[in-house]
Amino acid sequence: MKIIELNSVSKGYNHDSAKALNEVSLKINSGERTVILGPSGCGKTTILRLIAGFIAPDSGSISIGGQKVAENGRILVDPEHRNLGMVFQDLALWPHLTVRGNIEFGLRARGIRKDDRKEKLKKILELVGLKGFGDRKPAQLSGGQQQRVALARALVLEPGVLLMDEPLSSLDFELNVRLRKEILRLHKELNFTLLYVTHNREEANDIATRVVVMNKGCISNDGSP
Amino acid sequence: MQKRVFLTLIVILLLIVGLLPVLSMVAKSLTVDGHLSFSAYEGVLASSYQWVLMGHSMVLSSIVTVLTVAVGVPLGILFGKTDFLLRRFFIFLFVIPLLIPPYISAVSWFDLLGTGGLLAPITSPRFTETVSRLLFGLPGCVLVLFSAFLSIPMVLTMVFLKSVNPRLEEAGRLVSGWRGVLKSITIPLILPGILLSAMLVFLLSFGEFGVPNFLRYDVFPVESFTQFSAFYNFKAATAAAVPLAVLTLAILAVEFWFLRDRGTGLSLAHEAAKAQPVRLGRYRTLMLMWVSLLAFLLVVLPLIVLLIQSAGFESYGEALNRAGDSLLRSILYAAAGATVLTLLGFFTGYLIQTKAVCFWRSVDFMTIFLFALPGTVIGIGLVSLWNHQWANFIYATPLIIILGYLARYTALTSRISATYLAQIPSSMEEAAQIAGASWFRRMALIVAPLAKRSLFASWIVGYIFSLRDTGITMLVYPAGHDTLPVRIFTLMANGSPGLIAALCILMIAVTIVPAGILWMISNPVSKKEAI
Repeated sequence: MKIIELNSVSKGYNHDSAKALNEVSLKINSGERTVILGPSGCGKTTILRLIAGFIAPDSGSISIGGQKVAENGRILVDPEHRNLGMVFQDLALWPHLTVRGNIEFGLRARGIRKDDRKEKLKKILELVGLKGFGDRKPAQLSGGQQQRVALARALVLEPGVLLMDEPLSSLDFELNVRLRKEILRLHKELNFTLLYVTHNREEANDIATRVVVMNKGCISNDGSP
Repeated sequence: MQKRVFLTLIVILLLIVGLLPVLSMVAKSLTVDGHLSFSAYEGVLASSYQWVLMGHSMVLSSIVTVLTVAVGVPLGILFGKTDFLLRRFFIFLFVIPLLIPPYISAVSWFDLLGTGGLLAPITSPRFTETVSRLLFGLPGCVLVLFSAFLSIPMVLTMVFLKSVNPRLEEAGRLVSGWRGVLKSITIPLILPGILLSAMLVFLLSFGEFGVPNFLRYDVFPVESFTQFSAFYNFKAATAAAVPLAVLTLAILAVEFWFLRDRGTGLSLAHEAAKAQPVRLGRYRTLMLMWVSLLAFLLVVLPLIVLLIQSAGFESYGEALNRAGDSLLRSILYAAAGATVLTLLGFFTGYLIQTKAVCFWRSVDFMTIFLFALPGTVIGIGLVSLWNHQWANFIYATPLIIILGYLARYTALTSRISATYLAQIPSSMEEAAQIAGASWFRRMALIVAPLAKRSLFASWIVGYIFSLRDTGITMLVYPAGHDTLPVRIFTLMANGSPGLIAALCILMIAVTIVPAGILWMISNPVSKKEAI
């Protein structure tokens, strides 16, 4: 079943005459682990931000779960109503909140009851191996632990799709490899749809069931790793 | 949707509070008995005296601008770039005159150099007379406004220096000494900041009426104020105010056009803090002596004079007796103004920083324009718009004063907020958005706590500028609601020097003490954060 569909999507930025995305069409199936691979400036992060709803396509349309969410310069469904999870390149952990506060934020925003919140929090912390870290602030955690918090924060909401924007790019090689395995384990356990952006070919081959290669705003290759 | 509606409402509020009074004033100056008429302007333009006043204003503000930039920029480089001793202490000293109404410095210099001043008994009558004559005129105004606004180029230079990537300077240092690097790399990079400070000083000097009024140097803003308050000739006052508004607009437009390509967007490079300071070496002591002398002459001496003049409980007793109510009102109104300014500035800054509405640039320009406008012009505009029976709930209450503060000082709090918000990665808000949080929730639980430091800074700046405001408050305060700066200004005509000096000291105390306490509270909190 298709969960994300981009139809002839184009996107340009004011300061640049070249288009970041040029008539891109892409269909992503439920449960798939799709990696978008390409060099800097090829438009891979733009695709992620378009799907998340932070920016609108200049032309073309985007559907999520069969519902049209953006079309021809207009955002039809705001990001907060798209039921997506996202792990940002800089992780975007809120420094003034504890690990618990970071993970619970989305649950509170969605009006989840306190008991259920507590249950979900406990479960996700165990799942990502951060049991007992709930009261720590992000600054008190190691790089790997911060990555797990970002993952937990995104996954606790049980999103239809998890978007990951080069989440491991700032880590050393060993930690990078370890966390790839962690992501695969979480995917196996939770069976979410993953859309992962990276410029690292090895990372792409490790994670993907499907690799979409991008170049200069266009898809140049689409297939198995 | 929530975001767009709310921010549009903020823009509408800014238009009503700030721009509408000015437009109303212009419209009224152009109508006589409901018909278009330029008679008020003909009166202003035909009078050669008005042109003399305009010339005086231009000369005064030009000299003050040149002097403050010539001294303030080197001071800023000294404090921001070198291993100068006691820099925090000196920065604090030089900023004091900016925090208080400039006419307080004028009072102090008068107490020192006037014919009945502290120097008179120990100098010859001829010397006293000459110095006094110089004080009452252009040189005196230049001296007072120079000391009042010196910290603007100084602080802006320091702030812009922080935005310079130290690696650029290090690359230059491989082939040149610090002198060459500063001249060819650092100063050209901070040139937009220097120009910005020059523009601010020029406009603030141009719009200042308290000091020229006290030192009897006839300038254009005084004319507008006099026409309004002394003769209650509203048409003449507005006609005299409009050229000030037009000139302000013209200077700002040139500045915006010039800086558009060079960029004034500040991004505080955290790396800059780690940059190695320029070592002053053998010049360190010499520099310390020069700066100490300057600080003594411009800041410490006027304060000492006020303390000497106000010595004794009698003066302070009388001061509290005659202006205690104004003092309390000042603190109350300034605190209320600062609170609203903080909120309004925060949302305006957010709007500008995130370019949330397509006309964000116009909003930015409008707030800067209103800040640059002389206070008297905004005051006359507010009277013009709100002086109606139906608007008595505003015009006859302290609300009119608060509106004046909002109209003029939102630029300060919005710029502070915009600069701080630029340091917060957009992914912070986006992460909350994708987690399902509404815009208000994101603002309240993520953006505002992350921008906590800017909220503190905005409140402090809003409080100080509201407290020191004289131009707007003087024109709009309802009966029985005058503030301390206005009461001092009124009492200056017949109050004893001891009383006036005591009031000035009280004014300085209520400005610096709460601001200092808040600053100390806010700093340890903010240091713990690392975005």
